[in-house]
Amino acid sequence: MALLTVLHAPFADVLIAHDMPGLPAARRARSVDFAVGRIALMPGPTRVGVDLIAVAVRALMVVLGGARTVRLLAPVTLPLLGEYVRLHRSLAYAYVWETWPDTAVDGTPA
Amino acid sequence: MNTADALPTRCEVLVVGSGAGGATTAAVLAEAGIDVVVVEEGEWIAQGEIVPFSLEQMERQYRSGGVTVALGRPGIAYTEGRCVGGGTEINSGLYRRPPADVLDRWRDQYGIADFAPEEFDSIADEVEEELSVRTVPGAVTPSSGLLRDGSDALGWRQSEIPRWMEYPEGGSATSGRRRSMTETYLPRARRAGARVVSGCRVRRLRQAGHGVVVDLEVAGARREVLADHVFVCGGAIQTPALLQRSGLRRDVGASLAIHPTVKLSARFPDEVNVGDDVPVHQVKEFAPNLSFGGSASHPGLLALALSDEWPKFGQVVESWRHMSVFYAAITSEGRGRVDALPGFQDPVVTYRLTRRDRDLLRAGLNRLALVMLEAGATEVYPSYRGAPVVRGRRDLADLAARFSANRASVMTVHLCSTVPMGESDRCPVDSFGAVKAADRITVNDASLLPDAPGVNPQAAVMAIAIRNARHFAARRSGGRT
Repeated sequence: MALLTVLHAPFADVLIAHDMPGLPAARRARSVDFAVGRIALMPGPTRVGVDLIAVAVRALMVVLGGARTVRLLAPVTLPLLGEYVRLHRSLAYAYVWETWPDTAVDGTPA
Repeated sequence: MNTADALPTRCEVLVVGSGAGGATTAAVLAEAGIDVVVVEEGEWIAQGEIVPFSLEQMERQYRSGGVTVALGRPGIAYTEGRCVGGGTEINSGLYRRPPADVLDRWRDQYGIADFAPEEFDSIADEVEEELSVRTVPGAVTPSSGLLRDGSDALGWRQSEIPRWMEYPEGGSATSGRRRSMTETYLPRARRAGARVVSGCRVRRLRQAGHGVVVDLEVAGARREVLADHVFVCGGAIQTPALLQRSGLRRDVGASLAIHPTVKLSARFPDEVNVGDDVPVHQVKEFAPNLSFGGSASHPGLLALALSDEWPKFGQVVESWRHMSVFYAAITSEGRGRVDALPGFQDPVVTYRLTRRDRDLLRAGLNRLALVMLEAGATEVYPSYRGAPVVRGRRDLADLAARFSANRASVMTVHLCSTVPMGESDRCPVDSFGAVKAADRITVNDASLLPDAPGVNPQAAVMAIAIRNARHFAARRSGGRT
């Protein structure tokens, strides 16, 4: 789980901060934990693929920085990279609005 | 429920899986006086313990927390139950017998022997009685009414689909209790002496003289059980994977069939959201090729449905009380595969849509949007990247023009046909589910259905599983005498 957190949490954190700047840090941290937890449950062969994409994304984050990487990848619709962004978004959005239904679109609590 | 301590070293019949196929199999065999052990990978969770369709339910009762996908272009999200009772514990509970022409096609094209419609109907009658299959008392939920009203406005055929639900006296549409396997066939099986052991994962099966050795993991330890006969009822993904891990690969897992669906969200002037239930109406004007229905729509799932075009659609999530999610399902001509890989617990699942499937998904989404507009939607938000907001009929051409299945959130909850039954050479099991390439192993779940029936498959799964289990019990009884 620690390795998964290292691989996936930084991107999830920056992506959620990018999409929902008003989401309080504590809620963002819980959302990141949820996303990483669900990735950990994925079927083995699929997760190997997702982990490999995460390695590439982490490398990009080291070179470009987190915020620039997210700005670069957020609109990408290519297979693999686009699916990785989509995976994180779908997990985070589902968690945020199920847990705090009256959250505003920018993440600001009601 | 029995604990791991109840797992014997020997039994007459071991049933792998406790869903619609496994639970009915266990009840029939136990009531015929056979010593039955059911092993289930997931945990036993009573109805009502968890909010339906919630993230908690996905974590505790779905395989892989609900994050499962058939790889392909597009990837197709699917769900499998992983709990005692299997998919019956978590699905909508909507119940439809397969149409007679589907049963005829299965019998004729796959050479299924002794597959009489009268026997099927008689068993279906029993199932419906046992599960209390019925329509809702009183008024349906607002989102169900929208499907009905939108369809009626267009003059399209729609109907209320009955469910396996029990309602309290004077209850409403949302007060039902699901008559799932943990409420029906599993208690019956246990009353007849069957043992149900949860937390058991079967690794592989091995032929051994006059029995089958079941190699499994329970409570972190490896165990072996010698069974005279094994029924594999793990569902359309896990069953072929187990057979493959056991060396039975020929024609196994190569013909996965599903009902692919695409979704949209719609906003209405009134509050329509029901978070923990699904609409019971379905639009059947274009059935079997196309069916329209409604999904669970709590705010989390609504945000998920809007996420494909979040910068444009996201704002509307704040109006979730006025919104609901709907789907268009198709009968697909595509096929998929399930392949167990060495070193992995889980198989790789792939699926390929045909050109006709893609066209049908586009047509389905367009017509579903029209139903919503006719029902009074002020805006419709289709779930694909690049989708427009649809505010009137004039926007439907744009919806269709921009649609691409590769950019859509395609998903399915109906998986079947990975081990089709019949006497045809392409069928790895015979007309009653017995594996042709091995002794003493029978498949008895959704894997057996020769193709996707165009309606919720669980009625067909239960009726066929009961038929096959009775056939087995009769032969065994005959063998004893």
